[in-house]
Amino acid sequence: MIEFDDVALRYGDGPEILRNLSFTIAPGSFHFLTGPSGAGKTSLLKLLLLSLKPSRGHITMFGRDTGRLSQDQLLDMRRHIGIVFQEFRLLDHLTTFENVALPLRVQGQKEADYAENVAELLTWVGLGDRMHAHPPLLSGGEKQRAAIARAVIAKPDILLADEPTGNVDPDLSTRLLHLFAQLNRTGTTVIIATHERSLLEDFPTPRMVLSDGELIIE
Amino acid sequence: MSSGQSFIDQGDDDPRIRRPRRPTRMRVSRTASIVPHNSIAGRTLMLLIAIMTFLSCITLGGVVLVQKSAIAWSSEVGREVTIQVRPIEGQDMDSNLRASKSIAEAIPGVGAVRIMTEAESGKLLEPWLGAGLDLSLLSIPRLISVELSDPREFNADQLSENLATIKGATLDTHSAWRQQLNAMSGTMVLTGVLVLLLILVATILAVVFATRGTMASNRTIVDVLHFIGASNGFIAGEFQDRFLNIGLRGGAAGGAGAVLFFLVVGTISANYLPSEAGSQLSAFFGRFSLGWDGLLLLILVVPVIGGLTALTSRLTVRRFLTQIS
Ligand SMILES: Nc1ncnc2c1ncn2[C@@H]1O[C@H](COP(=O)(O)OP(=O)(O)OP(=O)(O)O)[C@@H](O)[C@H]1O
Ligand SMILES: [Mg+2]
Repeated sequence: MIEFDDVALRYGDGPEILRNLSFTIAPGSFHFLTGPSGAGKTSLLKLLLLSLKPSRGHITMFGRDTGRLSQDQLLDMRRHIGIVFQEFRLLDHLTTFENVALPLRVQGQKEADYAENVAELLTWVGLGDRMHAHPPLLSGGEKQRAAIARAVIAKPDILLADEPTGNVDPDLSTRLLHLFAQLNRTGTTVIIATHERSLLEDFPTPRMVLSDGELIIE
Repeated sequence: MSSGQSFIDQGDDDPRIRRPRRPTRMRVSRTASIVPHNSIAGRTLMLLIAIMTFLSCITLGGVVLVQKSAIAWSSEVGREVTIQVRPIEGQDMDSNLRASKSIAEAIPGVGAVRIMTEAESGKLLEPWLGAGLDLSLLSIPRLISVELSDPREFNADQLSENLATIKGATLDTHSAWRQQLNAMSGTMVLTGVLVLLLILVATILAVVFATRGTMASNRTIVDVLHFIGASNGFIAGEFQDRFLNIGLRGGAAGGAGAVLFFLVVGTISANYLPSEAGSQLSAFFGRFSLGWDGLLLLILVVPVIGGLTALTSRLTVRRFLTQIS
């Protein structure tokens, strides 16, 4: 599903913050990506989202060399990837409902067809009564749940989540992890970047640890 | 993956997961615009497009008025020719006038022929010479008005050939004057069209700037849309919808303003201006009456401006989207 072949990344003329990345991620697997702050977790997720190009090496996704994709093909591939950003990136002028529905809308679905699914998912993440509120009025945890709902609504083949439980209480963070696990059971490949040790203990899954720019799979 | 059904397993065995409540009733609303409605650039652009449309309509209306008046004058003037008989020493004016009249009457296509009295001829000169002048002291030419019953059958060359037998009689078909009129109205129409084109170019440039500004200030939205896999076509479509909306609303406001302008000016020139001023104006602009076809043309400017705005912004957005990637 995902294959990194000797990938390195640097920003501009800076030092390589990621290097010698060679690994494969099997379809339907569940991974935690950990490492200290500044280790490059977000950067690695951006590579996976195809929003950054590696400065060296090749990334193959869905059987295609991502370096050779046209912009349209790249955007098309993103529809199979769900992403939860560390800073959420919700659109402030849309309601929570509209934000979560955005991926479906972008795929050309009609509101009448997706309204119930979106409402159900929002209710499930505990935002049922905040559906028509705009993001600036949501708490940090509520925004995070909205961002997660947006990432999973289109049932992506790959889910990338950057610190998805950073702003919620332990109880909710366990629930959200179960949501990811459930999604994983239906076939979605899940990669969660986190530095919360406690999360990792609940889930006996392989860990990808970044340190000194290199990746170790434990 | 099918999206028609929920992937949330409702019978989850984990007691920590709350079962979903029944979905709350959806507020049925129009799907919200992805590009914010109340951006300042939008309102400024709408005002600008309204002004541009107004100017386009006024220019176009002016062109239509000039063109219509020119056609009306030209055909009115074309239905009449004048024979001028100059007083010549040793010639009897009255017999020359009568002879000219019968020559004219013999020509096919000629209707009523009337010798204008001395007083009538004098009246025509009044604007230049002032009233109350004893014209009998001046030897002014006398005029015969020849109405044409059928301007196509009428042969002006034949008439002026026949008139050559009478000393001092000449035929005036007003052709020089008509040519001048046509040249003048042609120039005015051309100028109007040029101004119209310049206004359209200025509108396009303004829309390009406004679109680039809007894109830059909505960069976060564009980025998020890209991250969730929106195609450039989709994003361009969303922005285009906004700009079409702005273009149509601005255009409609400007067009309505122009129609109102012509109606008000028409009414004022017809009813309120002192008759002399009114008749002078109406001589130039045909009572400011655009007619239904003229009004229709003005109203057509609105969708043209709206479409142009949408198309321009679409192309600009496309360029912007390929540039940022
Ligand atoms: N756009 C950028 N330009 C230049 N350097 C950057 C950029 N983004 C990140 N970096 C640098 O790359 C390194 C890795 O950053 P990254 O955000 O990937 O870390 P992280 O593991 O996600 O950290 P955290 O746990 O704090 O979120 C850091 O040293 C950071 O300063
Ligand atoms: Mg990070």
